[in-house]
Amino acid sequence: MTMRHEQVETNSALMLLLILAVISVGGLVEIVPLFSINETIEKVEGVRPNTPLEIRGRDIYIREGCYLCHSQMIRPFRDEWLRYGHYSLAAESQYDHPFQWGSKRTGPDLARVGGKYSNQWHVQHMKAPRSVVPQSIMPNYPWLLTNDLDYSDVADRMRALRVTGVPYSLTQQEYDANVKRFGPTVADQLDISKAEDNLLKEARDKNFDGIPGRVTEMDALVAYLQSLGTMVDFTKYDEGYFATFR
Amino acid sequence: MFDWLLWFTHMENSKPLALVLFFGAFCGILVYVFTGKQRAKRLESYKYIPFDDEESQRPEPHDFARGKPRARIETQSRKVMDNER
Amino acid sequence: MAQSSALPVEQYNFDIVRRFMIVAMIYGVIGMAVGVYIACELAWPFLNFDIPALTFGRLRPVHTSLVIFGFGGSALFATSYYIVQRTCQARLAFPWLAEFTFIGWTGGVALGVLTYMAGFSQGKEYAEFEWPLDLAITVVWVCYILVYVETVRRRSQPHIYVANWFFLAFLLAVALLHIFNNIAVPSALLKSYSVYSGVQDAMIQWWYGHNAVGFFLTAAFLGMMYYFVPKQAGRPVYSYRLSIIHFWALIFLYMWAGGHHLHWTALPDWVSTLSATFSILLLMPSWGGMINGIMTLSGAWDKLRSDPIMLFLITSLSFYGMSTFEGPLMSLKSVNALSHYTDWTIGHVHSGALGWVALVSFGSFYHLMPRLYETRMYSQTLIYVHFWLATIGIVLYITSMWIAGIGQGLMLRSFDDYGNLAYTFIETVEFMHTPYVWRALGGAFFVAGALVMVYNMVMTVRAARIERATLEAKLAAKLAKA
Repeated sequence: MTMRHEQVETNSALMLLLILAVISVGGLVEIVPLFSINETIEKVEGVRPNTPLEIRGRDIYIREGCYLCHSQMIRPFRDEWLRYGHYSLAAESQYDHPFQWGSKRTGPDLARVGGKYSNQWHVQHMKAPRSVVPQSIMPNYPWLLTNDLDYSDVADRMRALRVTGVPYSLTQQEYDANVKRFGPTVADQLDISKAEDNLLKEARDKNFDGIPGRVTEMDALVAYLQSLGTMVDFTKYDEGYFATFR
Repeated sequence: MFDWLLWFTHMENSKPLALVLFFGAFCGILVYVFTGKQRAKRLESYKYIPFDDEESQRPEPHDFARGKPRARIETQSRKVMDNER
Repeated sequence: MAQSSALPVEQYNFDIVRRFMIVAMIYGVIGMAVGVYIACELAWPFLNFDIPALTFGRLRPVHTSLVIFGFGGSALFATSYYIVQRTCQARLAFPWLAEFTFIGWTGGVALGVLTYMAGFSQGKEYAEFEWPLDLAITVVWVCYILVYVETVRRRSQPHIYVANWFFLAFLLAVALLHIFNNIAVPSALLKSYSVYSGVQDAMIQWWYGHNAVGFFLTAAFLGMMYYFVPKQAGRPVYSYRLSIIHFWALIFLYMWAGGHHLHWTALPDWVSTLSATFSILLLMPSWGGMINGIMTLSGAWDKLRSDPIMLFLITSLSFYGMSTFEGPLMSLKSVNALSHYTDWTIGHVHSGALGWVALVSFGSFYHLMPRLYETRMYSQTLIYVHFWLATIGIVLYITSMWIAGIGQGLMLRSFDDYGNLAYTFIETVEFMHTPYVWRALGGAFFVAGALVMVYNMVMTVRAARIERATLEAKLAAKLAKA
């Protein structure tokens, strides 16, 4: 019996099956191995899941579509090193659901914007970008300062993230594991039962938006921005180590 | 007994193997499709399917299938052009 | 028209084709207009007006979803439902299910767009719909597959025509991509978190993103091309055997290419190298399709002089060829180092989206109009006007984006004599203002063309109605006399 293309053309089930087989190969070969974490993600210290306040900040970042103009992925080139800092590691976005690497830089990269500017600068820049950078084409976001942050469901958000695999803790056992892995200070922040208290405490203590006594959306967003790219201490590693993961 | 299976798990073995298999399949399809006069004629005959539900007769066979020099085909096949105005 | 009355209107379900076509034009015009608006926002940021729903970040997904899913998707529903009926000579199966796909799809897009403006987004490009909408879309899509496949199974023709192969591949691939990319854990009705994180999420997202281009915006539109180009030309496609080769090669290779969106990132090098290799190979099946389409006219090139619809179709294939050459070029790591993150990518997308997807849809709609309404187009001249407005628009658009993108890329990587960066980032933003203005102008040209088409379509339908009314009146008079 010889295989003829006509057999495929005259049999819709066979055609569907063959199409499915042909389109499945590429994805399987390229995606499945990425989940064997060992060879994909660098082992570095310091990377931790976001605090409750940072989670809310990140949600606002996504809500406003910041990722459509700002990347969070520094490439290993000299100009990017000078402009933004060390190239981004896979480990640095391992808790990012979804990833926010972006695909377009209408504005500069934000992967290491944390600590680069003061809180005050961020607040002013978000409120009226052209008051600090005259040529900027970023929209104004004045409502971030006037909207009170809705933190009532932050525990729900952490629970959902926990299901995806982020180590937020619900049980004592999980908490203990976090203490071992991240130290007690971080482990406390990852405790879902203390989510709301932790959020309020961080917002009040650090007062990102400069308005005492109020927790605004600006608090959350600036907290998130100030955390970006600050977790890994690059002086601890030599370049050759990261290169083995590329 | 199944030691030989390990050979496939090494990237330096499986990559060229995959290349050879895919390229072989591609060449096979190429040869199948483009050889054989009968097969060519048969396969090319299916391209008239879109004209099967027209009340007018089929357009003249395309010259490509037969390898004849291209003749200019006037298209009076459809009785009326919808865009005539 | 004696001929058109012979058209088997009763035999086929054209009603759903007509409605999808109308919705495609409505979503198309709105989506493109939003595109022009956000292009203007980039040139003149005061246009954001401090209104959350109107800021660039929220309107950009509105634009992409309206043009890709609203315009492109509806155009595909319309043409695929038409083509499958005509090439299988079978009436559309499950009419109530087809009806549901119409309500579900158009409603889903509208709801999605409104939720974006209200600030609900998954944060994954081109997959921004939140989970309830994703679920709804999945249901609609499964119904679409059922209707389509069942119609194919009821064909009164032993062979499945090439156009249908492309549609079948598109139906399966989009289902696969949509489901796997959107798996998420909800925390509220309109908030969820992707189950994947970081590098894996990035790869799955661009496997989805690139194949949304490959199957939604390419394979399916090739299906459109394989029917409407031969029909409009009145001659069969150039080579059936070439279509076999390029079909299987295209659907196989596309699925490997997504990683080229992640060159030089934290994605492991082996994936991006593999993706780049397959992206370059992809040039061949892509051009196979272009050659097959354009060469259909071989020996009848004079049609381009007399038939504006042919002009639309052949120009769309030329843009297809151009952007599928530009794509592999940009997937080379060295070129990508310059082009990535810049407006070159935006220009590339639009040479495909405006030049190929939109033009081939417009051409197909112009072909469909007389057949669906049993009449002739209101104005041939206006089709030419549309063609030139659209073409000028595209040329302005892609040229200005080449200037903006390559210019910015070169500025960002240049150093002065002392090894310091020659430009700050904001200086590149300043430089891009002029190209941004030209881009907005190009977009406006394109929208103007689409509006001309809408006018032409409305007038055609009106004329058809009047024609039918007079015919019926005459008939009634005759009967009364008798």
